[in-house]
Amino acid sequence: MTAGKLEPLDPLIHSQVRLAVLSILVSVENADFNYLKQATETTDGNLSTHLTKLEEAGYAAVLKAFRGKKPTTTYSVTPKGKAAFARYIKALESYLPPGR
Amino acid sequence: MDEREVEMDERQAREEIQLIRTMVEKTRQATAESGALFIVWGVLCTLALLGNYILDALKLYRWIWANWVGMSVIGLIITIVYSIRRGRRDSVQTYAQIAARHLYFACGLGFLLVGLLFPASGVYSYEAIPALISAVFGILFFVLGGIFAWPFLKGIGLGWWAGAAGLSFFPVGIRVPVYTGLFMVLFLLPAIVLRLKFRRERIPS
Repeated sequence: MTAGKLEPLDPLIHSQVRLAVLSILVSVENADFNYLKQATETTDGNLSTHLTKLEEAGYAAVLKAFRGKKPTTTYSVTPKGKAAFARYIKALESYLPPGR
Repeated sequence: MDEREVEMDERQAREEIQLIRTMVEKTRQATAESGALFIVWGVLCTLALLGNYILDALKLYRWIWANWVGMSVIGLIITIVYSIRRGRRDSVQTYAQIAARHLYFACGLGFLLVGLLFPASGVYSYEAIPALISAVFGILFFVLGGIFAWPFLKGIGLGWWAGAAGLSFFPVGIRVPVYTGLFMVLFLLPAIVLRLKFRRERIPS
């Protein structure tokens, strides 16, 4: 049972990997590719595809840099991504019964 | 599917909320305060307090400053090396870690000013050092407790402030021994608790 109108969900976030990635990025300053891969338990290729979608939507920003001599790719959430995530959470709540 | 807005049922909504919670919790665990530097400074300060006691008993007063300056320099070198190495290794950085780093820097500078520079330049007597250092420790632990949402550390901060107030009522001669006891309970104990908590909760990052 849900109360009121069901809010539409942003299709760019409505994917297990992209939702997981954004959930991490909104709670940190930045996270590198390896951490995101490990936390989301996905493959390099799959994660890359989802990160590209988030990047193209303007939800995530990428920074390529060197940590010592080792190249790293670091991701952070953009203000647009934060706002979209907040809207998504609000929309999710509309699918739950009132007071839950 | 990516081109249209989508809808779901209550079960799917709950699963997605659970996924968000899991990711946030994983990240919290991966970025927990390690407590390693607390242990390092705890050991160094304990040795310096012991050195202070011995030098005082031997009436070698002018070496007491060298004892504390030496401890501070060793601690700073270890802190810098550890921070650089950890910075290279850490794959995720949180706002809490950034805030905590600023707090460590601010309090570290505070310790150097109130514990070494001000008394050495005659701003106040060395007798005031334990109470002032305790006040800075209070700030360190209380704010750290706020940053990491851990009431235990806030309680330790309050303990340091109570200790700072209490120290001023003790005769000058026994302030260092009293301070040493305070240090054991309010610094070494939380340092060990932090380290154990980190080792228990840490998932490799």
